[in-house]
Amino acid sequence: MSLIRSDLLRGTLDLLILKTLTLEPMHGWGIAQRIRHLSKDVFELNQGSLYPALRRLQRKGWVLSDWRITDNNRRARYYTLTKAGWKQLEAEEAHWGQSSAAVDRVLRLALEGV
Amino acid sequence: MSWFARLKSRFSELLNRPRAERELDEEIAYHLGRETDRLIGAGADPAEAKRIAQKAFGRASTVREQAREEWRLRWVEDTLRDLKYAARGLRRSPTFTVAAVLTLGLAIGATTAIYSIVDAVLLDDLPYPEPDRLVRMFEQNAPTNRWSLSVVDFQAVKEQQRSFEHVAALQAARVTLTGRGRPERFVAGRVTADWFRVLGVHPLEGRGFATDEDQPGSSPVVVISAGLRDRMFGEGARGIDEVLTLDGVPHTVVGVLGRDRASLAGLRADVWPILQLEPPTRRGPFFLRGFGRLSGGVSVAGAEADLADITRRIYPIWAEGFRDEKALITPYSLRETILGGVGTGVWLLFGAVLGVLLIATANVANLLMVRASGREHEMALRTSLGGTKRRLVRLLLTESLLLAAIGGAVGVALAFLCLETFVGTSPNLPRLDEISLDGGVLAFAAAVTLGSGVLFGLAPLLQTAPSLMQNLRGGDRADASGSRGRRLRSALVAAEFAIALPLLAGAALLVSSFVRLQNVDPGYDPTNLVSADVSLPPAEYEGYSEVVAFWDEALRRVREIPGVRAAGIGTGLPPNLQGETNNFDLVDKPVPEGSSEPSVPWSWASPGFWGALGVPLQRGRMFEERDGRDSLPVVMVSEAWASRYYPDGDVLGKQLYSGGDRDNPMTVVGVLANVKFEGLDTAGDVAVHEPFAQAGFRSVSLLVRSEGPVAGIVGRLRAVFQELDPALPLSNVETMDARLSAEVAGPRYWTTLFSLFAGLGLVLAAIGVYGVLSYTVSRQSREIAIRIALGAHPAAVRRSVVLGGMARVGIGIAIGLTLALLGTQWLESLLFDVSATDPLALAVAVAGLVLIAGIACYVPAHRATKIDPMRALRAD
Repeated sequence: MSLIRSDLLRGTLDLLILKTLTLEPMHGWGIAQRIRHLSKDVFELNQGSLYPALRRLQRKGWVLSDWRITDNNRRARYYTLTKAGWKQLEAEEAHWGQSSAAVDRVLRLALEGV
Repeated sequence: MSWFARLKSRFSELLNRPRAERELDEEIAYHLGRETDRLIGAGADPAEAKRIAQKAFGRASTVREQAREEWRLRWVEDTLRDLKYAARGLRRSPTFTVAAVLTLGLAIGATTAIYSIVDAVLLDDLPYPEPDRLVRMFEQNAPTNRWSLSVVDFQAVKEQQRSFEHVAALQAARVTLTGRGRPERFVAGRVTADWFRVLGVHPLEGRGFATDEDQPGSSPVVVISAGLRDRMFGEGARGIDEVLTLDGVPHTVVGVLGRDRASLAGLRADVWPILQLEPPTRRGPFFLRGFGRLSGGVSVAGAEADLADITRRIYPIWAEGFRDEKALITPYSLRETILGGVGTGVWLLFGAVLGVLLIATANVANLLMVRASGREHEMALRTSLGGTKRRLVRLLLTESLLLAAIGGAVGVALAFLCLETFVGTSPNLPRLDEISLDGGVLAFAAAVTLGSGVLFGLAPLLQTAPSLMQNLRGGDRADASGSRGRRLRSALVAAEFAIALPLLAGAALLVSSFVRLQNVDPGYDPTNLVSADVSLPPAEYEGYSEVVAFWDEALRRVREIPGVRAAGIGTGLPPNLQGETNNFDLVDKPVPEGSSEPSVPWSWASPGFWGALGVPLQRGRMFEERDGRDSLPVVMVSEAWASRYYPDGDVLGKQLYSGGDRDNPMTVVGVLANVKFEGLDTAGDVAVHEPFAQAGFRSVSLLVRSEGPVAGIVGRLRAVFQELDPALPLSNVETMDARLSAEVAGPRYWTTLFSLFAGLGLVLAAIGVYGVLSYTVSRQSREIAIRIALGAHPAAVRRSVVLGGMARVGIGIAIGLTLALLGTQWLESLLFDVSATDPLALAVAVAGLVLIAGIACYVPAHRATKIDPMRALRAD
């Protein structure tokens, strides 16, 4: 299995973050871990790029942040999905589903055509 | 770097970096820590783990930069969104928006216009290099009594002074220009050679005067204004070396001033001929304005000592004809003398508009609070939808600032329109040509706009912010705005009235003073009376006999014009042209040795002058044709003079020495009724009058009384003089009605503008209390409905609402009264015959305020009684 490096499309990273946050409010490192686990280590995220992305999502009003105390008693910034974030996620998911199906179909047809 | 320096720099870095960046760093550090721990837990060695974690994270500086970019974008986007939202909000409530914008526009406009006057007239330096070194010199024998210099004074100062770089003398006059079409009269500033060096002004074309050109016998030269050059020689002509004949004397043009030099040192003149002073034969007369540029390092006080020494040195030389030992040549800063008393008026107007601005700001704050209360649900909803409190505050502030900006724009446009009227109607405001809406004024307008925007923008925040959270839960409207908002609104209403009262009191004082001034008896009947100035040039009318002969003939012909009832000439013209002042000594009651002789307004008039003016003779006889140089010298005195110097009434036949002349005592032959010669607001009706033929002055005022309106005879009058001497112009042809009205133009101007602003303040304050009460009534409609349903009498409901409003007004009036008592003393110098704490004026102001406030309260109170209990209770 090949490792996909982190030059994820910007939209894709946003989508992954939003999806991750549907489970519970999380801090940045937690989000990075979760994405790595869920993608079975396929996405080796450039972890730094997570933070500008989080600022962007905040700017759009899709996530909120606040400082909380973690389980091991340290201060960390937690991100929460807003209502607008949920809506955005639904729209993005639908869109993703459509386009990935389309890409799938194109690939399959191309093979059959050979 | 020592550990301490390191700590210090780290500390200041921490302090100075924005919070958002510090938080991001903390986040990154946390992330790296957790990642390193994880790798160590997975078996990596600590150093290796740290390296891997950092590699996976990427460059922290890049991350920071990208994050910063997001913040920047966010700020722009948010602002745009806020603006769009604010604009939509304002569009949705047009009544509110129009009311607020108009209120602000009027207030900011008035403030800006008046500030531009303050800026140009009072704040800007005089437009000369190092203007602080310029002084004007006066003769002065008491702090309130100063007059011009004489030739003796000026020449002594010029030769002996040790305080000035240059000194110069100016004689303001009217000159007749002949030899180029119709003869024309111009205002001239005759000046000595150093005039332009004193001011530091260089002519744009040609040169100023050479040092010896003011010596008698040098050929006459003149510097002219650019406007006159264009008119005389055509645009584009240089004009240098052309010859202009002024009062019959050819002058060579040596310089042309720039267009920005229409006036110099407060005198607006077209021609500046050289002034050549002949050696004096006595100390007086005093007709020169003295100016000087102080040497570096010399203060006005230093120059004062120098000039006083000079005066004491020349006193004994001329003591025979001038016995006022207390009179000293005294310097004053030029700026002070040009501005004179105007400063008070302008500052007062500025104070008045600032008051109006405060009231307007309070009003808009009130409007915004009322509006914010209606939007509490909307705000609470926004909070729950993820709007942070800070964003909401920003949103509200954006709306306020947008409102202020629109109001400010309207205001600047209004100021632009008003300024012309303010300036155009102003009487003799100095430095008028310097007034404009320049960068500084616009910056001031912007600052005022921003300031008021922030001020009234804060009000709804104070009211709303704390209640944002609990508000969504309980839908109870009654308490929604909170008592905090109610208190703030009441305080604002009280403040508005506290500011409005002093304004109104000031206006009442000014109006009452103005009415009194207009009712002053000038001492004559101004209707059907016309005056004109005539000046006989010395070239054609060489001496006494030519002048007297000319007027004998001229007055004879004027009286023959059909419709002319009486005509005469005089050197002084009421109500404000005193002409000359002269000192005298009574033969039977001489002043003690060493003390000053009294000096009073003095005029010379032909026999017909007093008849034409219509001043009745009280005792004795009028001047007659036989009074002249060859008969015994006679004078008439005013009633006020008679009762001051001869209270027992026995004045006829008494004698006096005039102007230090001990050889020819003059006999009092008549007593005239009092006439105001020095302005309506002065007691200046103590005067001495001599027959014109005893002196034969060249420059006099002609006075003609007609049967009907004067318009019918002015043409004939001009024709008579045209026949007598085609080169002789009649200037300043004016009706006496117009002269009287011009005399009160100053007070009228200040009174009108101040009253206008006071009225504006009053209306705004009334709107303020009306708005708050209307709002209260609509909020309490349920409570009122219950009271009505329980049988409360409408009158009782009405009373309680009105009392609620008037209680706030009352507090405002109480504070305002204190302010008025403290503040109106600034008006003192503008008031005539009214005390600055005149109880009647204060009472009128309070009554006016209570009346208007009462009406403003009654309307919503009346509406309250019309509440239908059933509907009010069902609503909600």
